Amino acid sequence: MTTITSDPPTRPVRRRFDVNRWRATPGPFRVGAAILLAHLLFAIVGVFWTPYGFAEMGAGLPLSGASWQHPMGLDQIGRDVFSRFMYGAHIVLLLSFTGTMLGMVAGTTLGLLSGYIGGWFDEITQRLVEAMISIPFLALALVTIIAAGPALAGEPVLIVFVVGLVYAPRIARIARAAAMEIATREYVAAAELRGEGAWSIVLREVLPNAANILLVEFSLRLSYAPILIGALGFLGFGIRPPTPEWGLMISENRNLLIASPVTVFGPGFGLASLVIGFNLFTDGLSRMLGQRSVVGS
Amino acid sequence: MKRLIEVRNLNIAYGGGLSGWTNVVQDVSFGIARGEAFGLVGESGCGKSTVAYRLLGYGTINSLVQTGEVSFNGTDLLKLDAASLTRLRGDSIALVPQNPTTSLSPGMRVGTQIREMIATHRALPDGMTMKHRIAELLALVGLPDVSHRYPHELSGGQQQRAAIAMAVSCNPDLLVLDEPTTGLDVTTQRQIVQLLCDLRSRIGMAMLYVTHDLALLAQIADRVGVMYAGQLVEIAACDKLLSAPAHPYSRGLIASIPTMDGTARQGSGLRGVLRRDQISTGCKFEPRCDFANPACRTTPQVLEPIADARSVACMRWREIPAPQTPAALAGDDADATARPERLFAIAGLNLSYRKPNVFDKLLGRATPPVVRDIGLDLRAGEVVALVGESGSGKSTIARAISGRLPPLAGQIDLDGAPLASTLKNRSVEQLRQIQYIFQNPDASLNPRHRIRTILGRPLRHFGIEADEKALEAVLENVGLHAGYLDRFPEQLSGGERQRIAIARALLVRPKLLICDEILSALDVSVQARIVELLRSLKEKHAVAMLFISHDLAVVQQLADRVAVLYRGELMQTSDTATLLTTPLHPYTEMLLEAAPSLRKDDYVSRPPAMPASKAMPGIGCPLAGRCPRQIGDICADTPPPVQVTDNGLIRCHIPVNELTGTIAGSTGGIAGMPMPPAFAGSD
Repeated sequence: MTTITSDPPTRPVRRRFDVNRWRATPGPFRVGAAILLAHLLFAIVGVFWTPYGFAEMGAGLPLSGASWQHPMGLDQIGRDVFSRFMYGAHIVLLLSFTGTMLGMVAGTTLGLLSGYIGGWFDEITQRLVEAMISIPFLALALVTIIAAGPALAGEPVLIVFVVGLVYAPRIARIARAAAMEIATREYVAAAELRGEGAWSIVLREVLPNAANILLVEFSLRLSYAPILIGALGFLGFGIRPPTPEWGLMISENRNLLIASPVTVFGPGFGLASLVIGFNLFTDGLSRMLGQRSVVGS
Repeated sequence: MKRLIEVRNLNIAYGGGLSGWTNVVQDVSFGIARGEAFGLVGESGCGKSTVAYRLLGYGTINSLVQTGEVSFNGTDLLKLDAASLTRLRGDSIALVPQNPTTSLSPGMRVGTQIREMIATHRALPDGMTMKHRIAELLALVGLPDVSHRYPHELSGGQQQRAAIAMAVSCNPDLLVLDEPTTGLDVTTQRQIVQLLCDLRSRIGMAMLYVTHDLALLAQIADRVGVMYAGQLVEIAACDKLLSAPAHPYSRGLIASIPTMDGTARQGSGLRGVLRRDQISTGCKFEPRCDFANPACRTTPQVLEPIADARSVACMRWREIPAPQTPAALAGDDADATARPERLFAIAGLNLSYRKPNVFDKLLGRATPPVVRDIGLDLRAGEVVALVGESGSGKSTIARAISGRLPPLAGQIDLDGAPLASTLKNRSVEQLRQIQYIFQNPDASLNPRHRIRTILGRPLRHFGIEADEKALEAVLENVGLHAGYLDRFPEQLSGGERQRIAIARALLVRPKLLICDEILSALDVSVQARIVELLRSLKEKHAVAMLFISHDLAVVQQLADRVAVLYRGELMQTSDTATLLTTPLHPYTEMLLEAAPSLRKDDYVSRPPAMPASKAMPGIGCPLAGRCPRQIGDICADTPPPVQVTDNGLIRCHIPVNELTGTIAGSTGGIAGMPMPPAFAGSD
């Protein structure tokens, strides 16, 4: 038997930053990445330094409008809105990320298992998932927060849990669809014939091949998380004041919309740009990975 | 000679955009005369289909004709506008596509589809109604009037016949056939080829037959062009090419084809695979050529006429030694007396994909199982082939043995101990002893893992101590090297992937290897090398194999014994050699006759003796109604008795001694039985 000697096309070695690789990425990806990077830097700076303390009252004359000292004005009790905005940046990012992550882990596990195992397990899981999806997400979130009771209300842990709970069933459906398709491949059959368990197969054979779909799904969910968290904050079910969460800030300052509108613009602009950044990023990512992002499922 | 279609210096490139253009077809020139059948043959990726579609003036969006001319009856098809092309296509040049299941519209009746074709080109002959014409066309391709049927109501062969009827409906001058029989069974394939030969003589159209199967071309083509890496390397009359190929590539290709006439292959097959990134500036075949010298690397080869309408693109064809004359294959199983222990046995196996539900049980309804009453045994180190057409239940049996389909009834034994019917209940040791190799290596290796992980996982799972050396050794065993360990499956060719799959199965030292059509997704040259590999493995490791295949020629090279399946029932088991020389069973005869050889063999399919009788699954002989030697209604009504022969068994109503008396070709009548006129001749 002769030995075959052929050299496959070598994979491009991953370098730290390659200008050509960056240029080859889709436009939305680049714009989105730039916006997200700006948000990240802003958030990091905000943790360590703000012009005034985020809860410091009387930093200036309340409701005095925008000025060089206070670019976003001052709220009713004289707190500097820009400082609060800066400090709040990392809160939104962290809550969105951990919340989506939780939903991702739970949803992926459930979805992949359900799609791979099938049968009764799949039926029951899917009915539960459908029941949860049929409840409007805000209603589900509010019910959960109320059920958690006053002791937990306003805790970041609860917000993370709520985001995870709202997202998990939606992610589970996508993961299930991916797993069902992958489960028919012969490498899965080969693993079954070795006698491997369901967990092992899902982890080793199915998950790596569903990674593309799941990555796009993660990024898509992440882009909507700030809206959900903002909405909870706006309704007063979010982070406990005086922590400056953006949604909460809009809510606090909404009755100043006529007296000093600039106080609402900051957090509003922050939320909007974050969501747009995430969306563009996801769009580009899904194009690069050859996946279509399913919006609004 | 005035040619019907003339291709001159055709260059086609694919791609565009950032990656630039890739030349897929380079300087291809050939012509087809009126009424001539021209074959285009080559391995996958050589550009043969690209050329064929250009003859219809058809190109995909990302392909670009750079230079060249395709002149059809004096007009250049490459310069025609879309409207004139539409008029021409179907009318003067028609296509028979590869896969009839996808090329016929599933929501439209067959007749309507043919009518559409005729109506578009206003090709209805004078004084004939459309309905009449369609019926006539269907009769021409040997179909009853199926015009009111939907495509899914027809079998694959019938669908292809309908597609051919559609193609010839406007009496085209040229018929382009793109691998028209690739997805079909051997017997159906032969009937289609026969039909095409027949049509050609009746209608007198020219044909371009694109295929990878030289043996088929031998039956139909007048001249053959051999393509390699986008270039024609040899054009010759078909019989000349097959008997004395000039170009080294043609020689290798022909040597790779397994034949059933009991001879070893001539010379050696092809080594390596076509890689477009490794092509030298000179002769394209140089990296794989056994006769190459440094000059070949730099001198581009062009097609030059050598003798009587024959041209070769090789400057050294004269110097290359002629292929050795085929020597008779020595019987390699001399020690038949020292038979090893029985390793594996199945008995009374019944399989069904549908579990009987509560209602069926209550009402006493039973759907006949898809696989009925299979009994088979394997000895250690023995290769048993399971042969049959598609849908005969070969893979279903393999599923049951591997534990993925619990049988309805029956027993599976491994090493004397019964094997549990489900995977869960089998011991780890039993799972290790049976290894499965899948048909499609693209799907059986996880694309996200490196080869090292793919090979290492079974070892870890079965708790086998193995180091890097073991992996390297097994790779060497299958003809690869350690450099493959860090690659991903996508970086490997189909043949290399299949080797990895074989290596993965061998690593855990199995006793039984189930090979489920492992060659059908590969090119002939690659197939030949995998067969070679399996043979050496069989000798080295004494591993038993259940080799599932539809290709009798491959089976002949590899298997010790053959089991012939038809519609889920075992028709015959026999030693390979005996089966090929004295097939005995009518179905085996049919299979053997249908397999094309490398010479024109004037195959005539024998019509069924009693086409009216219907085979009911589970009641009579499944072959009833199709069998050319059917003796009467008894075949359809009672299950055939099992008769023991010298080296196997046979299931037929005709007694063995009467079956022996008639060797393939001539048919003996059974005394007292009414014989149809076609079969009375030899009596």
